[in-house]
Amino acid sequence: MSLQIVVVTPEKTTLDQKVDAVTVPMFDGELGVLRGHAPLIGRMGPGELRTTRGGDVSRFYVDGGFVQILNDVVSVLTGRTVPVEEIDLDAARQELETAERQQASNVELMDLKRKAIAQAKAQIRMVENGS
Amino acid sequence: MANARALDKRRKSIRNIKKITRTMELIATARFKKAMDRASAATDYTQRITAVVADLARAGLEVSHPLLEARETHESGTVLVLSANRGLCGGYNGNVIRAALNRRIEMQEDFNEVRTEVVGKRGNSGFRFRDIAVDESFVDEDGVSYIEDDPEFATIDKIADRYLREFASGKLDRLDVTYTKFISSSRQEAIVETLLPLGELEGADTPVDEEGVSDGESLYEFVPNAKSILDEVVPTSFKVKLFKCFLDAAVSEHISRMVAMKNATENANEMIKDLSRTYNRARQSQITGEIMEVIGGVEALEG
Repeated sequence: MSLQIVVVTPEKTTLDQKVDAVTVPMFDGELGVLRGHAPLIGRMGPGELRTTRGGDVSRFYVDGGFVQILNDVVSVLTGRTVPVEEIDLDAARQELETAERQQASNVELMDLKRKAIAQAKAQIRMVENGS
Repeated sequence: MANARALDKRRKSIRNIKKITRTMELIATARFKKAMDRASAATDYTQRITAVVADLARAGLEVSHPLLEARETHESGTVLVLSANRGLCGGYNGNVIRAALNRRIEMQEDFNEVRTEVVGKRGNSGFRFRDIAVDESFVDEDGVSYIEDDPEFATIDKIADRYLREFASGKLDRLDVTYTKFISSSRQEAIVETLLPLGELEGADTPVDEEGVSDGESLYEFVPNAKSILDEVVPTSFKVKLFKCFLDAAVSEHISRMVAMKNATENANEMIKDLSRTYNRARQSQITGEIMEVIGGVEALEG
C-alpha cells in the first residue's frame, strides 16, 4: 500500500489515506490508478471516486474538478464530495428536475444546464446502481 | 458628595455589562478559532491549484483566458461589499463601508453603470442610511441575510457562477470586492480587490522548462490537453478567490469583535474601579456626617 489519495475541497481536506487502488471519474470516463502511475493532470467530470484498500471499497461522489498524479500521490481537487451513503437521493432528483426545466437561451447557460444535469444524474446513478 | 446608594447601583449595572462583554469576547474567540481553521483549510486548495497552474506554465502553455484580460469596454462594473450581520465589532463595518463608498465614486467616473451589491445586514443598513440604492443584498424571502459568517462553498459557488455568467455575456466588465483582509491577528485592513478580470494567475509566471518542451514531452500527461484544463482552472481559481474573501472577512470580523469586547471589558473594569473609589469616599463622608450628628446631639443634651 503505497498509493496515497488526497481529496481537497475549498472547505477542507476530506480524505487523506493510503490505498491500493483509486478509480477517478474523468470527464470522459473512468481512470484507474495503481502504484507507479505516470504523472498526470486531468479534468474530472461529476461521478464516482472509488478507493480500494485491502478489499474494502469506499465510494464517493465528486462534483468534477481536477486530478493530479505525481509520485504515487493522487490529489483530487473538487468543489464538493460526499460519501455514497450520504447522497440525498430526493434532493438530487429535485435538482435534476429544476435543471431540466431551466431556460437555456445562450451558450453559457446551456453549459451550466448541462453541467447541473450531469451532476444530478451522476448522483442518482450512483445510489441506484450502488452496492 | 454623590449619593452612595446610587453609586452602588451604577457599579452593579456596570458589573453586569462587564459579564456580558466578557462572555461575548469568549464567544468571539471561539468563533475566531473556527473561522481561522476554515481559512487555513482553504489555503491547501489554493496552493494545489497554484501548483497545477505552475505545472501548466512549465509545460509551455501560454496562460491566457478571457477572464484574465482587462476589457476595453467600460459599460458596467459591480462593487461587492462584504460586511457583517452583527455589530459590536469596533470599526469593522464602518471601515468596509467607507472603502466601498470611495471605490464606488471612483468607478462611477469610469463606468456608465455601477451596481452595488452588499453582503451582511450592517452593510445594507449603512448604505440605506446614506440613501444609496443596493442592487443585491443577498437576503432570502424574509429579508434575512442567507450568508452567515461561516459561508459554505456551495453558496459562494452559486454567486460566483452568476458573476462568471454576467462577465461572459458582457453584462459585467469589472467586479471589485471590498472586504477586510486578515493580515495578522493584530492587523486587519479594509481593502478593495478586483476579482474580474482576474489579471495574473498565481503560478502563471513560472518559467517554461525548455528541456522538457523541446523534447516534446513534459513531466505530465494532460488529459485531455493543457488548454482544456486551463479553461477549467481559471473559473475555479476565481471561485476560490472569492471564497477566500468571504473567509477572510469572517476571520477579521471575529477578531475585530474580540478586540472590541476585550476593550469594553477593560473599560468596565476601569469604571468599576473609579466608581468604587467614589463610592467608598461617599460612604465614608456619610458615616462621618452621621457621627458628627450623633456627637452634636449628645453635646446638645449634656449642655
